[in-house]
Amino acid sequence: MARPLAVDQQTDADVRRSSEMGGAHLAQTGNGHRGGDEAFRGNEEQYRLLLEGIQDYAITMMDPNGTITSWNAGAEQIKGYTAAEIIGHSFACLFVPEDIVRGRPKELLRITADRGRHVEQGLRVRKDGSQFVAALTLTALRDGGGRLLGFSEVSHDLSQSNESGAKYRGLLEAAPDAMVVVDQAGEIVLLNLAAEKQFGYRRDELLGQKVTNIIPVGFAERLIADDLRSAADALAQHMGTGIELTARRKDGTEFPIEIMLSPLENTEGILVTAAIRDISVRKAAEAHLAQSIEELSRSNQELEQFAYIASHDLQEPLRMVTSYTQLLSKRYSGKLDADADDFIAFAVDGAARMQLLIRDLLAFSRVGTQGREMLNVESSEALDRALLNLQGAIEDSGAIVTSDALPVVTADGAQLVQLFQNLVSNAIKYQGPGAPLVHLSATKSGSRWRFSVKDNGIGIDPQYFVRIFGMFQRLHGRDEYTGTGIGLAVCKKIVERHGGTLSVESQPGNGSTFTFDLATESAK
Amino acid sequence: MTFIGSNGMPIEVLLVEDSPGDVRLTREAFREANLAIQLHVASDGVEALAFLTRTGAYAEAPRPDLILLDLNLPRMDGRQVLAHIKGDDDLKTIPTVILTTSEADSDIVMSYTLRANCYLSKPVQLDAFEGLVKSINDFWLTRAKLPQRQPAR
Repeated sequence: MARPLAVDQQTDADVRRSSEMGGAHLAQTGNGHRGGDEAFRGNEEQYRLLLEGIQDYAITMMDPNGTITSWNAGAEQIKGYTAAEIIGHSFACLFVPEDIVRGRPKELLRITADRGRHVEQGLRVRKDGSQFVAALTLTALRDGGGRLLGFSEVSHDLSQSNESGAKYRGLLEAAPDAMVVVDQAGEIVLLNLAAEKQFGYRRDELLGQKVTNIIPVGFAERLIADDLRSAADALAQHMGTGIELTARRKDGTEFPIEIMLSPLENTEGILVTAAIRDISVRKAAEAHLAQSIEELSRSNQELEQFAYIASHDLQEPLRMVTSYTQLLSKRYSGKLDADADDFIAFAVDGAARMQLLIRDLLAFSRVGTQGREMLNVESSEALDRALLNLQGAIEDSGAIVTSDALPVVTADGAQLVQLFQNLVSNAIKYQGPGAPLVHLSATKSGSRWRFSVKDNGIGIDPQYFVRIFGMFQRLHGRDEYTGTGIGLAVCKKIVERHGGTLSVESQPGNGSTFTFDLATESAK
Repeated sequence: MTFIGSNGMPIEVLLVEDSPGDVRLTREAFREANLAIQLHVASDGVEALAFLTRTGAYAEAPRPDLILLDLNLPRMDGRQVLAHIKGDDDLKTIPTVILTTSEADSDIVMSYTLRANCYLSKPVQLDAFEGLVKSINDFWLTRAKLPQRQPAR
């Protein structure tokens, strides 16, 4: 068992001085202080017994380095270590890892040595690893010459306390978020370990200071009641919801936070507890996401621009190829030999097909780059215009196109015409044995209209349901059906630009039904 | 009163076009349409203005009866040439037809705003192009009454 420190060396003057500087009172003895060793030993024994007998308070002595030299029964009860286990070890082992990392044990000793006495509430660790909130008083022990002999620490477990304030402080301390309690004047009256860590201050540097030191803008303003509403009303508006603000650390660096406020009525008025969460990570993730989306949409746009410019600029040289092969054919067909006629015919045909491809590629890229505003559109009128454009094909094939009453939708009118035109045109083109019958209908589903274009054509094998919507995808030879295979890709792109989906149901020989959805009429 | 094309006078047409392929195609098409047409070519806007103002190598250039103007040209583009022609008291009476590949609404609106007499886009197919040139000849150089040319200076 270690000897209590410094007792036999103190004089009354020392005691007074020690008192004045907040030093130890342990040495204050009524009598026999200057008496023989015998008497003193008796006193010492009494004190030892007294200290050891105290169960509710942990009383610990340390040397100037924080090495534990004495440990009472209360300490064993509260912290779990026996005296034999702990004496000779640094009191740092009672701190939570975060505090150890930031050098809090040494710092506490320094503060106590400077001021003589230090009171705080802090998290401590038991032998079994569990944590608790301790209210503790550290006292510097000095000899007559002012030389530091060591420290005493008296502490008790707040979480065991029945006092509600203590319980509250315990909860506050154990909270994973930084918690700061502020009074109506905007001064910090309480804060927890997480707050110390988050802002980089020691507790004693913030207590009594303005909260604007750590949250410059947006918090203090919310505490102030104006003429029209009480403080409680002012606060009620901000309670519960997360408020995003900027916080400032001791080193001046700033970081984004979200704070949740809750009022706390006490005898002195309303206090506000702010739970402060560092949202740097979330903010960074949000910024990263926004950036990714922007990059993606930019690269998409660039791609569309590229397709547009490429197809547009390719038209010029291609027009030359087409024109001159046609001129060649016109002037020299039948005037050279049979091979020459073949070659010219292939060149004319190739150039013509390429022209169609480029025209369609341009049409496809225009869906994205040249789209117009979404307005309320009579879909029946769009269909009428599409049918007018298809008049020739309808008459040639003997097709009968019918439709139910069609609704007003929110759409790009020109694109809706093109959509109907491409779908009806396909329905006619891929006709079955009889005359093509095409029927259009629309059913409402929530805020969308589902359109169907049903035909009695040759149908599509389900294995091609995905492929048919791809660019330049064709299921048939050019001899059977004309076209570049862009029609449905354009349809899909138009529907997607309108926030819908285009799909198909079909069986070979049993016709096809294409369905897509558009937004209902928008309120003016 | 004499009108262009009558009494054996050649019809002077200025084609402002930078693509030799298009120049030749237009020449071929006019040859089929009207042998009386004298086609002059300026391959950019600067040349076109030199021709019209009879500057430098073009001191002896005739005043055209019709101008066919492409919009996208090197050095000085067709919009600037058009603005110059229609802003010039002497030149503004010459019918100026825009003949270009552009089908952009903005180009069409701008051309008429700058007082182009007509806007035509070049068709892709040879037949259609020949038909267009023929219709230019039929309308502008045959049916339309144009101001009489000033006697050469």
